[in-house]
Amino acid sequence: MKSRDIPVVSAVLEAGADDRVFDSLLLTGPLVIGLIVVLGRSLVTEAVAIAYIAAFVGYTLYRGVRT
Amino acid sequence: MNGAVATVGRDLGRILEALGGLMLISLVVPIVWGEYFALPALLVSALVPLGIGWVLYRRFEGAEAPGRFHGMIVAASGWFSVGIFGSLPFLLIAWSVQLGVPGFSTPAQTATLAAFTEPLNAIFESMSGFTGTGLTMTDNEEVLPRTLQWWRTFSEWVGGVGVIVLTTAILSRPGSGSLTLYESEARSKKIHPSIVSTVRTIWWIFILFTFGSILALWLAGMPIWGAINHGMTGLATGGFSITDNSIATYDSVAIDFVLIPIMLLGSIAFPVHYLILQGDLRNFYSDLQTRWVFGYMGIGSALLWGFLYFVGPYETPFAALRYGLFQFVSAATCTGFQTAVDATNIALGRWPSYAQLTVTFGMFVGGAAGSTAGGIKLIRGLTLVKGIRHQIADVFYPESAVRRLEINNRRLNEEEASREFMEAAIIVVLWSTFLVLGTFLLLLTLPSGEYSLANVLFEVASAQGNVGLSSGITGPDSLPTIGKIAFLFHMWIGRLEIIPVLVMLRTIFKRGGVYR
Repeated sequence: MKSRDIPVVSAVLEAGADDRVFDSLLLTGPLVIGLIVVLGRSLVTEAVAIAYIAAFVGYTLYRGVRT
Repeated sequence: MNGAVATVGRDLGRILEALGGLMLISLVVPIVWGEYFALPALLVSALVPLGIGWVLYRRFEGAEAPGRFHGMIVAASGWFSVGIFGSLPFLLIAWSVQLGVPGFSTPAQTATLAAFTEPLNAIFESMSGFTGTGLTMTDNEEVLPRTLQWWRTFSEWVGGVGVIVLTTAILSRPGSGSLTLYESEARSKKIHPSIVSTVRTIWWIFILFTFGSILALWLAGMPIWGAINHGMTGLATGGFSITDNSIATYDSVAIDFVLIPIMLLGSIAFPVHYLILQGDLRNFYSDLQTRWVFGYMGIGSALLWGFLYFVGPYETPFAALRYGLFQFVSAATCTGFQTAVDATNIALGRWPSYAQLTVTFGMFVGGAAGSTAGGIKLIRGLTLVKGIRHQIADVFYPESAVRRLEINNRRLNEEEASREFMEAAIIVVLWSTFLVLGTFLLLLTLPSGEYSLANVLFEVASAQGNVGLSSGITGPDSLPTIGKIAFLFHMWIGRLEIIPVLVMLRTIFKRGGVYR
């Protein structure tokens, strides 16, 4: 089974900016928020949240510089 | 005409089915939070629009495809219907708590929730949510059941996407700004082939930004439930809060400053976001509206900072910057989050009149067309300014001169320029007319001497600009019934940019024989 065959994943991959990094951020977003809901505020969850935002901002800038 | 009824009926049916679906999804919230008493009310609330929508859709399934005329009527009647049926969770949950639900334990009734046993208050809250306004009939949002906190947030979030879809995919016409957006889209390699893929991409961007907003707010120190709700309403530039004093409740510099870029994201046209995510960062300055989002927010905030610091009421430059910047951005992006309240500093309604009018001007202009912001939209303001300058300069050129008006890198000939200028002027005149009429009406119905003209103008501009900042007039008891009904109308026309509502009313009156 390919990732494109999974209902939610296929919808995400077909829409948007046609970029796997952004698609991955979109798909992992609920998991990160879910992790925070379950574990609460801790060093680990804060690091994960910072990594998520840094990846989003950094990758947007990287694409801009590369284009 | 019957063909039009069928087309509108079919599409309205789909909208109501979608609304019912949103309510069914929201059943997760009372289950997670253990608010089981809200389950029957939310389920019934979902079944009503689902049932009506199903009947309408099945009845008119074979109707013709919609044209622009149908699109406007569907948008106007759809938003109105969603506002009405979206009030059911407020009404039914309030009555569930009031009367009790057999087999479920219900919490004690509060004055805040009891306000929603009045259908008009429930409809007001729902319309305020789906239009992204944020004016509220609640006294204290903190005591609302989590289910209703979520429904308020969800309505603004969905309404935010709805208005982007409306302006970029349905009402794309010269002067609305949408034509400009499509042309800027055309600069990229990938042009969306259909409305369906455009809508999907808008959702994609909106959801991605929502996750980022939630995490940023949480990192700034907001509890996760607050971050989820405020991240969603901030990006949707809706402004509903789950706390009693809006964002002022947190009294946090970090949260204030994290919310500013979130509100700005919501006020930039989403097709521009699409280009930026594709790596075309030049749009931050090459796109006229985006450039002006930053320029005009900067100028407005600096002006407000000057008023608040040099004339008062704030005594330190940082306090004036913190509250002035936040409140101007909140107003001009049409979000309506409030940090200037008496609980932590000085309430907006008690700011000097010129400071209030500066904020009112921000609400009047609003953000970019194709975003979630309200107001007349930056593109219209800029079209008007450039058009007026063009007309005046015309006097200095010989009659034989061929001149072109340049807007957002588009060179318009005389006919195109005249058409865009006219459309922008019509919207601005209508907007101003309804603003003045609403102000008169509110002045007549409010107790004399209790509120200043600046307060009243501020409140009406806030409703019509879908902002949600309040000078203290809006409330279940403080706003008279006529004022509530008028505000429902203001929020409705403000969200739809007036014309679709007038088209719908003309059609209804003409069909009923009232107007010929």
